[in-house]
Amino acid sequence: MRLVSLLLLITFSSLGYAAGGAECGDYGDCDEFDARLLDNSSLQRGLNTFINNCYGCHSLQYSRWGRVAKDLDIPESILFEKLVFDPNAKSGDLMKGSLDKKASEEWFGVAPPDLTLVARSRGSNWIYTYLRTYYEDGSKQYGVNNLVYPNTAMPNVLEYYQGKQILGCKQVPSYASNGGVRRDADRNIITEEECGHLLLAEGSGKYTAAEFDTIIFDLTNFLTYVAEPVRADRERIGWFVILFFVVFTALSYLLFREYQKDYH
Amino acid sequence: MSSMFLKVFDWVNHRLPIVNTFERHLSKHPVPKKVNFWYLFGALASVVLIIQIVSGIWLMMPYENTEEGAFASVEFIMRDVDYGWVIRYMHTTGASMFFAVVYLHMFRGLLYGSYQRPRELVWIFGMTIYLVMMAEGFLGYVLPYGQMSYWGAQVIISLFGAIPYIGESLEVWVRGDYYISGATISRFFALHVVALPLILIALVFMHLVALHEVGAGNPEGIDIEKHVDEDGVPLDSVPFFPYKVLNALVGIGVFMIVFSIIMFFFPEMGGYFLEKANFEEANPLSTPEHIAPVWYYSPYYAMLRAVPDKLGGLIVMAGAIAILFVVPWLDRSKVASIRYKGIFSKIALVLFATSFITLGYLGTVPVTESRKLMSVIGTVIYFGFFFLMPFYTSLEKTSVPPERL
Ligand code: HEC
Ligand code: HEM
Repeated sequence: MRLVSLLLLITFSSLGYAAGGAECGDYGDCDEFDARLLDNSSLQRGLNTFINNCYGCHSLQYSRWGRVAKDLDIPESILFEKLVFDPNAKSGDLMKGSLDKKASEEWFGVAPPDLTLVARSRGSNWIYTYLRTYYEDGSKQYGVNNLVYPNTAMPNVLEYYQGKQILGCKQVPSYASNGGVRRDADRNIITEEECGHLLLAEGSGKYTAAEFDTIIFDLTNFLTYVAEPVRADRERIGWFVILFFVVFTALSYLLFREYQKDYH
Repeated sequence: MSSMFLKVFDWVNHRLPIVNTFERHLSKHPVPKKVNFWYLFGALASVVLIIQIVSGIWLMMPYENTEEGAFASVEFIMRDVDYGWVIRYMHTTGASMFFAVVYLHMFRGLLYGSYQRPRELVWIFGMTIYLVMMAEGFLGYVLPYGQMSYWGAQVIISLFGAIPYIGESLEVWVRGDYYISGATISRFFALHVVALPLILIALVFMHLVALHEVGAGNPEGIDIEKHVDEDGVPLDSVPFFPYKVLNALVGIGVFMIVFSIIMFFFPEMGGYFLEKANFEEANPLSTPEHIAPVWYYSPYYAMLRAVPDKLGGLIVMAGAIAILFVVPWLDRSKVASIRYKGIFSKIALVLFATSFITLGYLGTVPVTESRKLMSVIGTVIYFGFFFLMPFYTSLEKTSVPPERL
């Protein structure tokens, strides 16, 4: 049995091998994003940001105007007045965007993809990180590059909100080989310079860093909603279904026990 | 009123063996009185089969089997069809749970030697079911026409191309075109919704008929028919209905709780039940960075990748499944249950299960040198389990099972 346990140990420990590249490209692990799908005001702000900054390039072609209005609790008249720029659009229409795919492919090299499902194909964490990791890079077409998606063909469309970020160096705590933070004789943390950090030029954008994070949170929240509009419903209904089967199981167990007396 | 009903019932019963069948297969059908939870998975597999058929019929109504429309129609189901998402998640969760349940059901067979005489044919029907299920799962996975549908199909269909001489024409024949296209989708649709389900139902029927003919086994691996009462009913048995049905009902309840938790709270199951890349529409011009099959095929995929040569990989993969068919004749043990088999059988089974799970993991991640080596080792252990079975089962010292349950 010792041999068996050893083999088990070997196989299972090797399962832990790092899974190739990091989830968020050069940035490493993505920043955590916890969706708040019941927070309608966050979703509404996200929708607003999306329509005003992204919808010019990206469609949401599986989603319908009326459905979004209903789910986010926006009166259709207001939605159509404030956010639907196509005068012919109707409530049941898909949000197909107005961009000509062919022409945009010539501009950007790639056509801006449809974003209805991007929160499911890329993941919400990925989007949340991607939209916050642009930095100045003169060698690129739009003068910016991205840590999560290096050489992305998308310009930093929210730069006027966020301001300019550069890749630079800063002091970070240094770690001893045992993993602990190193300290000097006075218990002050010893730091060392580390490069490749995103540094924001304070005041270069319309919003502070914290405000900008909230804007991106709301935007990602909205994209998470639109990727699976039924998710909040699904989780609500799920509890009832589970409750049903718990009762079902309990009752069938009582019945089973009753009959089991016959043959024990 | 009730006498009216009885009259009608009598009338029908004289023309259709209702009471007879009920008694023979349910209320008077003897089953071992003591079995454990491993014996529930057959019933659970039947439940999932029904779930798949029912949800499949409803999915089929709004689904569009064309190259342009397939992906969008699935999103239409998820968004615009009332409770379409319930139906779809039922079907996608069901597919994975089907395999989970059937893998456990098969493992029970290995654990307690259920395939041994006189249940060889039950096992063979079971294996055929498994084979058809694999084909059914593959065909279904292509239908939503996402990136992984497309590229997974590309990998699998190109395997046919590795067969000498006829390979390339076979590939075209399977696809119905020179590349994966609308023709592929519509033929896969026909096979997935009509042909294979019919075969599957017929096979499950035969599986159960064969089982009822010889009687169900038990974890002790002993023959309960050796001790019977004056009517020929085994002493250690109880009627299937209502006792075992109620027992199964409890199991089904627990299973449905697990099923609902996944379906309503983790339908993607971290990318194992619904792969991330499949939320992008198929794009023949852009190969995903990393092509991985759904988890239930991944052990075989790891074996395929462990062999450098494509044809060799195909042969190993096919062999891995084929060899399961002949297990009843590889096991030479005097006893059936692992409880009374010797130490070598026990070690072999642990190694086998470990290698299968490890291969399963390796099939889902990108290859590296060390993983490739692991896949080779896993594949060797997998085959070793079967090739050496005639020897370790006949040479090892077994213990004596009890006479009665
Ligand atoms: C000027 C046009 C344009 C605007 C405006 C724009 N994008 Fe993009 N976006 C692109 C292009 C082009 C790509 C393709 C990038 C690539 O693949 O290299 C892209 C890619 C993306 C991706 C990655 C999709 C994927 O799976 O590869 C996300 C997410 C995204 N954009 C979100 C947004 C959001 C959110 C906004 C609004 C704040 C926005 N975009 C505004 C052009 C635009
Ligand atoms: C759709 C898939 C399947 C269904 C619905 C199904 C159903 C069942 C049922 C209801 C039983 C009796 C209850 C039990 O022992 O669990 C059974 C027994 C059995 N099944 Fe399956 N089965 C399926 C697939 C398989 C597969 C893939 C195999 C193996 C390759 C298999 C091998 C067996 C064996 C050997 C028995 C007899 C066990 C014994 O009596 O000791 N089955 N099956």
